[in-house]
Amino acid sequence: MIDLVVQQFAWVQSPVVVARQLLAGVSNGMLLFLISAGLSLIFGVLRIINFAHGALFMFGAFVAVSLTALAPETTGAFAAALIGAAAGLAVLGALLESGLLRRIYHAQHEYQLLLTFALVFILGDVAKLIWGREDHSVSVPSLLTGSARALGLTFPTYRLFLIGVGIVVAIALWWVLHRTRWGVFVCAATMDRGMLSALGVNTRWLFTAVFALGAALAGLGGALAAPIVAVGPGLHVQVIIDAFVVVVIGGMGSVLGALVASLLVGIVNAFGILAIPGAAVVLTFALMAVILIVRPHGLFGTPE
Amino acid sequence: MTRLVPAAVLLLGLPFALSDFWLFIAIEVLAFALYAVSFNVLLGYGGMLSFGHAAFFGVGGYAAAILLKRAGLPPMLAFALVPVVALVVSALVALLIGFFSVQRSGIYFAMLTFAFQMLLYTIALKATGITGGDDGMTGLKPPGVLGRPFYYYYYALAIVVPALYVLYRLVSSPFGFTLRALRANPRRVQYIGVNVRAHQLAAFVVSGAFAGLAGGLFALSTGNVFPGWLNWTASATPIVMAVLGGVHTFLGPAVGAAVYVVLEVLISGKTEYWPLAMGVIIVVLVLLMPEGLSGFRRKPA
Repeated sequence: MIDLVVQQFAWVQSPVVVARQLLAGVSNGMLLFLISAGLSLIFGVLRIINFAHGALFMFGAFVAVSLTALAPETTGAFAAALIGAAAGLAVLGALLESGLLRRIYHAQHEYQLLLTFALVFILGDVAKLIWGREDHSVSVPSLLTGSARALGLTFPTYRLFLIGVGIVVAIALWWVLHRTRWGVFVCAATMDRGMLSALGVNTRWLFTAVFALGAALAGLGGALAAPIVAVGPGLHVQVIIDAFVVVVIGGMGSVLGALVASLLVGIVNAFGILAIPGAAVVLTFALMAVILIVRPHGLFGTPE
Repeated sequence: MTRLVPAAVLLLGLPFALSDFWLFIAIEVLAFALYAVSFNVLLGYGGMLSFGHAAFFGVGGYAAAILLKRAGLPPMLAFALVPVVALVVSALVALLIGFFSVQRSGIYFAMLTFAFQMLLYTIALKATGITGGDDGMTGLKPPGVLGRPFYYYYYALAIVVPALYVLYRLVSSPFGFTLRALRANPRRVQYIGVNVRAHQLAAFVVSGAFAGLAGGLFALSTGNVFPGWLNWTASATPIVMAVLGGVHTFLGPAVGAAVYVVLEVLISGKTEYWPLAMGVIIVVLVLLMPEGLSGFRRKPA
């Protein structure tokens, strides 16, 4: 029995395996951060759990499929895909918020839940209508293929690129939220929407902008994930669950929490696969349940 | 009482009027009616939004399947035990999940039930030796003539109607009125000395148990059970049914279940884009009919 357990952890001795899993965990965590940061912001400001956020991520990936198909493997087409996915999803997000979600902010929880659920089903089928039912793949642009060598280990360049983008987005978000006037409004809205509105801030526009920002981050995440996942109509079902776990652990409404929890979940999953194959997911849901019981506002959230 | 006679004639006469296909659908309606009404004991009466109620429907289905396939009992005995086992097992699971979940209220309650459901989903998916994993469990058949929809319909009716009656008596009892008071103002109810969490937990267990019974009934009708029954997308179903029929009437969710199931059959027969159609229906429902089909702004007395 002990031998068996020791065997399960034999990889600990191998720095190559540990480094590889760490890199995979951190880079997957960065993708998770892009989607969960938006989910968390939207919950913090709009008080809505947007179950359709995974579908927005999937749309980002599909946009990347279409745009990179114009000039496969070129860096230019890939850059266009990243920008196009973020911009396109920002527009879609703004339309969804101003057309649908805006009407149910004062409704009961079950109506809010049902509406974002309806969007999951609608967007899922619309994606099938546009891009078909089969899986697509996007190749890594020529500039980012290959791998970098350091400390006698090799790292795939694209994974390093993902981590770099994640860091840049995290810093940019921090700057926007804490160093701009707009960011101050957003932070104020997470605390007291009524007061903010009474002080003369146009909260309607603010809500639309927050939702559009969240959607843009999800779209960017989807486009960045496109080269390392199978882009198909079922993509969003699992993605939203991971993001949801992250947001609950990190604290709903907290972008810093989303960052920390994303990396945590990414790394736990990467090593969990080695230690207890198949059961790593159980670990993250158990972690989520424990957090909800002992600290429902999450690691970095503020209590109600 | 005068309204009961035509209803009884209708329910008892259906097998003589419907084809086997539609009878099969009628059985599905019965199972989902029980599922939706049991769910609504929490939402409509207790004001508790469970976002993991598919867990109990699924557990009931798996309990039935495992009993039939893996317990090694004679088929007749195993089949006879299905309702009891489905009820008891899902009640126990609901006790465990409910114990933790009722510690929180509102959206946190919803998320806790959600987390536990996903935990069970993962177990159903990974415990391949017991649950069949991704492939689920298939080939479940009631013994003898009950395998035919004509007879299974009456069997289902003989379970669902008494179950609904029990639930009706429950929500009309002092316990049921305490639940409604809890929905309206939990703090005030607490101040008059009612143990809020105990009442919520009791409602949760009853609701989960009957949802499990419905799941067991449905599993034997379709002959299979899949992990997808426990996935998060499945938890929208009872909410849609309850809201569609109206959460403020006892039988509203049952009406919602009937409409939902029939719509699904009609639409998915015409197009593979049933989810899209359902999404549009939900949007219309949420934005235009906040009281549901049978609501008419009636509140429980």
